[in-house]
Amino acid sequence: MNKLLIEPLGPGAPVGEILLAETAVRIELPPSLHQLAVDRYAAVSKHAERPDSPLHDKVTWFYPQGSMAIRSTIKSHRRDDGFDIDIVAELLLHGALTPAQVLDLLFEAINGPPGSMYHGMVERQTRCITVRYADGMHLDITPSELLDAHDPRRSHIFHAKPGEPATHHRYLTMNSWAFCDWFNANTPVDLLFEQAYRKRALAFDQMRVLAEAEVKPVPGHSSTEAGKSASVVALQLLKRNRNMRYASRKGQRLPPSVMMACFSGHTSVPGSSISDALDTIAAVILEALERADRSNTLIDLRNPKCNNDRFTDRWPENAQAQRIYIDDLKLFRRQLAAIMSDQLTLPQKRDLLVVMFGEGPAQSAVNDYAATLGQAVATGSRKIAPSGKVLPIAAAAPAIITPSAAQPRSHTFYGSPWGSW
Amino acid sequence: MKTIAEQVRAMRRRWRTFDLAEQKDDSAVWFGGLVGIERQYRVSVEYGHPAPGRDNARWRLFPLVRVLSPQLEPRFDALEEAPLPHVYFDYKDITLSPLCLFDPNANEWSHDDLIAETTIPWAADWLACYEGWLATGRWHGGGRHGQPHHASQ
Repeated sequence: MNKLLIEPLGPGAPVGEILLAETAVRIELPPSLHQLAVDRYAAVSKHAERPDSPLHDKVTWFYPQGSMAIRSTIKSHRRDDGFDIDIVAELLLHGALTPAQVLDLLFEAINGPPGSMYHGMVERQTRCITVRYADGMHLDITPSELLDAHDPRRSHIFHAKPGEPATHHRYLTMNSWAFCDWFNANTPVDLLFEQAYRKRALAFDQMRVLAEAEVKPVPGHSSTEAGKSASVVALQLLKRNRNMRYASRKGQRLPPSVMMACFSGHTSVPGSSISDALDTIAAVILEALERADRSNTLIDLRNPKCNNDRFTDRWPENAQAQRIYIDDLKLFRRQLAAIMSDQLTLPQKRDLLVVMFGEGPAQSAVNDYAATLGQAVATGSRKIAPSGKVLPIAAAAPAIITPSAAQPRSHTFYGSPWGSW
Repeated sequence: MKTIAEQVRAMRRRWRTFDLAEQKDDSAVWFGGLVGIERQYRVSVEYGHPAPGRDNARWRLFPLVRVLSPQLEPRFDALEEAPLPHVYFDYKDITLSPLCLFDPNANEWSHDDLIAETTIPWAADWLACYEGWLATGRWHGGGRHGQPHHASQ
């Protein structure tokens, strides 16, 4: 079939592609959690700037960084793990404080006095402070200071590990704002894909709301608020796979999301499918890691908009850590090829999806796929391609998608029950 | 009633993945590849005109489709339709049980119909639902069960 005639994620799309999309929809933040994250982001910003805060009049502004800013936040694969929201608090400090003092000041401002909103929920980290909510959501707030007013958002962040000698404390250059801008510009929304993916995301959201018997209106979903390209969806799936692989590797740092996002931004091609984007991203990361491994070095990836902002400064810690992810990516690409193969049956693809992305979203995606297909057969609302492939007729699917498929008349499966002889 | 020659012509025109293995004046057998979801299955189709005044074998009442490979996988623990969905159980080898593709009591198929336009696409429907059943344990393709049938003929 002419590839150009295949509607993205439509009835003629490869089954693997549809299953990847349905799995991705299920690891998206549900609209209610997305709204909660937005509300908490606003509340914590307001709290930091309250009149009796030590940071009153010292916060230039708060802005999201990381996955929240590039629309790639995913749920945790463990129900009680919640998810991370990354925020930058840009401060006006005039270079007067040491890294430890800045982090301590932010901690003090957010933690507040006993009895206040966040008291006891805040933890001082090496480069940020973390607000931990009872439901598992984490809000990481990284303090920064602008370096040059003429170079928007190029900033210092502060590194001061508690307990470490002050001589180890340092300033690091970063520009997550420019990176997010660059990423979003490099992964523009492909209208056909965006509409097809949004339709699936909305259908799943509505089903979830009905299942949870929520009465409040559904807040904007991340996929409807900003739209998604296949590259962003692919990035979410790759992050999910990484989280699955590292879940049992206690004490090992994860390959950074920002590294994956950077390669995704470099390789994004409008009009590509999720599977193509996934394979491309995995392939370029693998190539870069293997190149480093061959030359006995560790990968060194920089922010394309700020060369001193080094994305791989904390991972890989050593060659072994680098090689572990090389092997993960090799396995991932083989599994992805199998998912897209027409030699595997649906249960075989389900088993692979479970290994790659976890049982919950994978089985749910397969259940819905099987139910949709079965319903189309049961109601006669399907076409049959020359190969026999059953193509559910989507309400809005243009006829051009399946020009040579026929629509046979309806029939009723019959038969005798087992053991009735 | 469609002649065997008409059935053969329609099959050749519509289903290029099928080979005619045997043709007589009143019967034919095909082997071919058929996809339900993506994986291709090899199936056989046996069909014959009813012989007057005789106790006709099932393949002379309607086309009989069997899955040859990959072998059907009985699931005795499936939530629905265990161990195989909508087949006429062949108790000698249930993996070769003919598929039950229509309700004979609802006049959904007659000898005036072309196998190429009914039986084969319906078998594709069955294969698609069968894979869904294997993956979920549930049969989503609808259908009903009739009176018990005995071993295949």
